[in-house]
Amino acid sequence: MTGTRQKPILVLALGNDILGDDGIAFYAARALQEEFSAVADFTETAEAGLALMEMLEGYEYALLMDSVMTGQCDPGTIVEFQTEQFKKVVAPSPHYAGLPEVLELSARLGLDMPTGMRILAMEVADPFTLREELTPDVARALPNLVDAARAILEEWRASVPCTNTH
Amino acid sequence: MDEPVKEVFNEARERAAQDYKNQRRITIDPITRLEGHGKIDVFLDQKGEVERAYFQVPELRGFEIFSIGRPAEDMPQITSRICGVCPTAHHMAATKALDDLYKIKPTSAGRKIRELMYNLFMLEDHALHVYVLGGPDFIVGPDAPAAMRNILGVIEKTGLDVGKKVIGMRRRIREAMAYLGGKVVHPVLGLPGGVAKGVKADDLPMFKELAKDGLEFAQFTLQVFSDIVLKNEKYVELVTSENYTHRTNYMGVVDDQNRVNFYDGMIRVVGPEGNEVVKFKAQDYLKHISEHVEPWSYVKFTYLEDIGWKGFTDGPDSGVISVAPLARLNAADAMATPLAQEAREEYFKILGGRPVHYTLANHYARVVEMIQAAETIQELVNDPEITSTDLRNIPTETPTVGIGVVEAPRGTLYHHYETDERGVLTKANLIVATQNNSARMAMSVEKSAKGLIHEGKVDEGLLNMVEMAFRAYDPCHACATHSLPGQMPLRARVYDAEKNIIQEFQK
Repeated sequence: MTGTRQKPILVLALGNDILGDDGIAFYAARALQEEFSAVADFTETAEAGLALMEMLEGYEYALLMDSVMTGQCDPGTIVEFQTEQFKKVVAPSPHYAGLPEVLELSARLGLDMPTGMRILAMEVADPFTLREELTPDVARALPNLVDAARAILEEWRASVPCTNTH
Repeated sequence: MDEPVKEVFNEARERAAQDYKNQRRITIDPITRLEGHGKIDVFLDQKGEVERAYFQVPELRGFEIFSIGRPAEDMPQITSRICGVCPTAHHMAATKALDDLYKIKPTSAGRKIRELMYNLFMLEDHALHVYVLGGPDFIVGPDAPAAMRNILGVIEKTGLDVGKKVIGMRRRIREAMAYLGGKVVHPVLGLPGGVAKGVKADDLPMFKELAKDGLEFAQFTLQVFSDIVLKNEKYVELVTSENYTHRTNYMGVVDDQNRVNFYDGMIRVVGPEGNEVVKFKAQDYLKHISEHVEPWSYVKFTYLEDIGWKGFTDGPDSGVISVAPLARLNAADAMATPLAQEAREEYFKILGGRPVHYTLANHYARVVEMIQAAETIQELVNDPEITSTDLRNIPTETPTVGIGVVEAPRGTLYHHYETDERGVLTKANLIVATQNNSARMAMSVEKSAKGLIHEGKVDEGLLNMVEMAFRAYDPCHACATHSLPGQMPLRARVYDAEKNIIQEFQK
């Protein structure tokens, strides 16, 4: 199924919106969906590892958004990761550390993966309690994540020639 | 707290703290290659021998509160969202609980479509474990560097073509599941009394082609396992070693001929000698399954009420139960399909007869189950009824209580709902597969740690071999808590008696 998709950009929101803060990426993605629907597909998923490879395949650009608990920042802080960072952290888990393997595996299998990839995450307070609300700090910071994601998507949109935006 | 109670409590706490200070402590945190994250604490005594080892997991909170007040029909969607790993198992257990809640049987075609979906899921999920999660321990080797014990290492060892085969088959199975379920991760297939979507006659060739290739793939996987694991004396020795052996009870769903069934049947428990201890309907689960609580874990350890909780011990007097592939093969008298039955016979021949008590044999049993799943898919797609449009019976009964059970890849999964007369939930209880395995898993971690770590000598390879003990169960904890990849490196720490870190592993 390698080949190009109809739209050049994928916004991949990772998490779970019935687990409190774990849904932060979903909310951010939903806030941007209408604005960028002409150039981007939006996918929400609780999966990771190999499933991500299948989702990413065929896009030119991919923006991944997720929640994270580093314990080193205040809840609501936006953290950007570089794929190179992951490569240094060799933790063999398809669930938690699947990205480096996915990228490496895709390269070895000759899959058509995005050439541009950005990873935005927000430090969260509670991704363990079943509920549909965000904790207050994270809820307050949601617009910041939306803005950060928007800036990236605008940049990519500008670089895509002759896109029919309507 | 009463004063005398407080005093005893404080004294006990002080003693525990003192004991802790006197021990050197190794922490493996978090466990790699698992869904959810947990950690293992290994406590050494002054001589460097393992005194205790604990397997701890994070908690998933608030499920019951979250469910109450919602329409029961939402449960197949809600519960599937608890878990990004085995959503189909939750979806199907919930759907079956709704059948029971509304006292309605699915149509024959509806049931077959559910079974088709479920066996596709079992095949895909088991394949993922064999090649990606647990298999690397064997295919790449338990002593191999951590960086190699993953899918990349597997491909290096088995060749790029195998990688392409695994990825390609997985994709096709998931596409078929998405066809039936609307989407792979949170399917919307199951309804009380049937299913929402059937198979169109025009699309049947795609399913038939997939079924044929799926069976070939399962057989190929058995060959890979046989060539790499069974033909390697060292591996077989490891699988059958005492460090990875527990003689517990085994639980699994069986059909009316006591054959393995993933989707439906009675729950059968056999003892350590292979004798049937009890066989019961899902609706009677509370009479036979109880939960034990330990202060050091969030997990409630299930045990067999018929025997009772006798602690973390094995043998015929222990109530500890085990689920998942190893247990399912032990609990049943046969597989339900011919090639899987052949594979099962070979399995018991190689491992010394039924029941098999070797935890690491879970990997082998999983491959045998892949064959049954693939053969069942083939049977179903060749059944003329699979394209029937008689998909659903409409419920008419007033709901009260509904209980559903399936065999998730990781073991027996119970869903139990109670509602008011409008079908609005007043109570929900889930016993997930990993919970049914949790006591035995805790025993496995401790036993392997005690067997492998001596005189304070701990290295990465040894720690991995301790992890292997529970990885074989394919456990799934704190379903669906998700964190960004890359932030969960494996850490192992060794502390001296004064709690200073004297050794640290970081993978």
